Amino acid sequence: MKKLKIGFYGITGCAGCQLSVIFEEDELLDIINLIEIQAWPFIKELNYDKKFDYIFMEGLVADNEDKGILLKLRANTRFMVALGACAHTGCIPAYRHFTLKENYAHLLYEKKENIKDIDPNPIDSFVKVDYIIPGCPPDKNEIRSFIKDIVRDIIPKPYNNPVCVECKRNNNSCLLDNKKPCLGPITRGGCNSVCTNNGLECWGCRGPTQQGHKMQS
Amino acid sequence: MVLSVGDAGARHNKVIKCSLKAVEGSRYFEGIVKNRMFYEAPEITSRICGVCSCAHTLCSIFAMENALNLEVSDQTIKLRKLLNWGERIRSHATHLYFLSLPDFLGYESALAMVPKYRREIEIALKLMKIGNRIVSLIGGRDLHPVSAQIGGFLKYPGKQDLNEISSLLKECKVYAIKTIELFSRLSYPEFSRDVSCFSVYNDDEYGMFNGRIRTHNKDYNKEDYKNYLKEYHEKSSTSNFVVKESKGYRVGALPRINISCHLLHKEAKRYSKLIKLPNHNPFKNNLAQAIEILHAIEECISITNNMEIKEESFKKPKLVNGHGVAAIEVPRGTLWHEYIIKNKKIVYCNIITPTAQNLRSMEDDIRAFLPSVIKLKKEKIVLETEKLIRSYDPCFSCSTHFLNVRWI
Repeated sequence: MKKLKIGFYGITGCAGCQLSVIFEEDELLDIINLIEIQAWPFIKELNYDKKFDYIFMEGLVADNEDKGILLKLRANTRFMVALGACAHTGCIPAYRHFTLKENYAHLLYEKKENIKDIDPNPIDSFVKVDYIIPGCPPDKNEIRSFIKDIVRDIIPKPYNNPVCVECKRNNNSCLLDNKKPCLGPITRGGCNSVCTNNGLECWGCRGPTQQGHKMQS
Repeated sequence: MVLSVGDAGARHNKVIKCSLKAVEGSRYFEGIVKNRMFYEAPEITSRICGVCSCAHTLCSIFAMENALNLEVSDQTIKLRKLLNWGERIRSHATHLYFLSLPDFLGYESALAMVPKYRREIEIALKLMKIGNRIVSLIGGRDLHPVSAQIGGFLKYPGKQDLNEISSLLKECKVYAIKTIELFSRLSYPEFSRDVSCFSVYNDDEYGMFNGRIRTHNKDYNKEDYKNYLKEYHEKSSTSNFVVKESKGYRVGALPRINISCHLLHKEAKRYSKLIKLPNHNPFKNNLAQAIEILHAIEECISITNNMEIKEESFKKPKLVNGHGVAAIEVPRGTLWHEYIIKNKKIVYCNIITPTAQNLRSMEDDIRAFLPSVIKLKKEKIVLETEKLIRSYDPCFSCSTHFLNVRWI
């Protein structure tokens, strides 16, 4: 069977999502055997950037250069996967939208046209995105099962339950009851409620769930 | 990264011009945190870098605690040390095996090395795993930790978990030693440039959180860092460059060993003799990192041994205004966070990353190093230069295989 041609790329971001792929530890060597990694500039010197089956794109579009890379890669792949919260929702770097310009005016300087800032936005504001692996960073199991699905020609199913489902299963006491502003009920789960397990309220990094969790009255 | 180099052939093998430009998308973190509540900063600044996420979280926490005059328990400090050492182990292992080793063995990537060097890659993965295990046990997950907060921890590891970590660490010691042996056998270019080394120093332990800033001949206070460090902007680069008293300096594993070698654990200290100290060959930063992995493992074993965890309540700050600076040692060198808080809100934030501090010295090194390779083929020059840059272990988001050389 012919192996799928895969590319891992990052535009503006923290590299944490690509790192989550490398941090598969026990399974990494098996995973890379299942696929043909054509390009991964993060850890590869030789990168062939044409005719991909899947591109996993980390990061958001923050300047013209990001946009150029994204558009070019979209034209060279059958499927585009938003890897992680920045690519999916814009995540924390997109807070710039809610930040007064005067707050970061002292950090601005003149940039050449090719790297000029543009409004920070997730990749689906610029190109068609076929799949999303949400989370800041994504859950390692989710990345692994996504790759295993696509190599077996199975369409990966998104997890749509709110965070509360896993949180309850993990026997956590409800943070809302403790008057903490937890976004678990309206946030897409699949993260094994990793933040609330540790007592931190969910801040919605995985984006809204399509079926909001009804609060019991 | 863009490097402009004078053409080798046409101009009699001379370097005409050499300037390093780091280009990455701007995210303006120091602006994003402004006007937000002080306790939001650790979580937000963690997103500056995935691989140093614990580093930013911890540095931000320390700076806030300094600003608001908050003292935390010894247990909290111990757990933070574990978090920092865990991150150091996995970060160094990833850098050494996935970014540096292929350069030295003539492979395009670690993935391409697997058929012939499977055992080495497996060692890397084992070290990364123990690092990740420590970070996720103490911080709640692998990247962007959640439990470490201003004033304490949201959740504590169980006794059983700590025992498990401790026995895993003991098993991993042999991999750290194998890593040192491997990296001591590599052939490093004969290159040395005497540049000021820079690290957090205190007499009681190898570079960590507490202490003053030490260089080879002078100590400095952290609080008045703006008197001796200057950040400036290089045209066309999106990174800041930093100089100390108008000169470049080096931070990272090799500078740390240069300054605090006598504080290494017994076995790590024995292996540190493999480097002739003080050492100013930036390529040797790789070997220094390998030695630090062993030290980190020994340090974590001694912290987890006899550690009795007790649940503690959070320390809450009484002050609402303040000004705090923190400098801590993280995988790539010294990290700085500074905040001014007014009425619980952040009104000023300044962050200096290790990579920004190394850029000046990196560029000077390249300029000094190029003449020794300028007669080689262009591809080879690029590779050797990349090898030099990667030895510094610059922050991943800009160290990747992006070196575009403009031959002018």
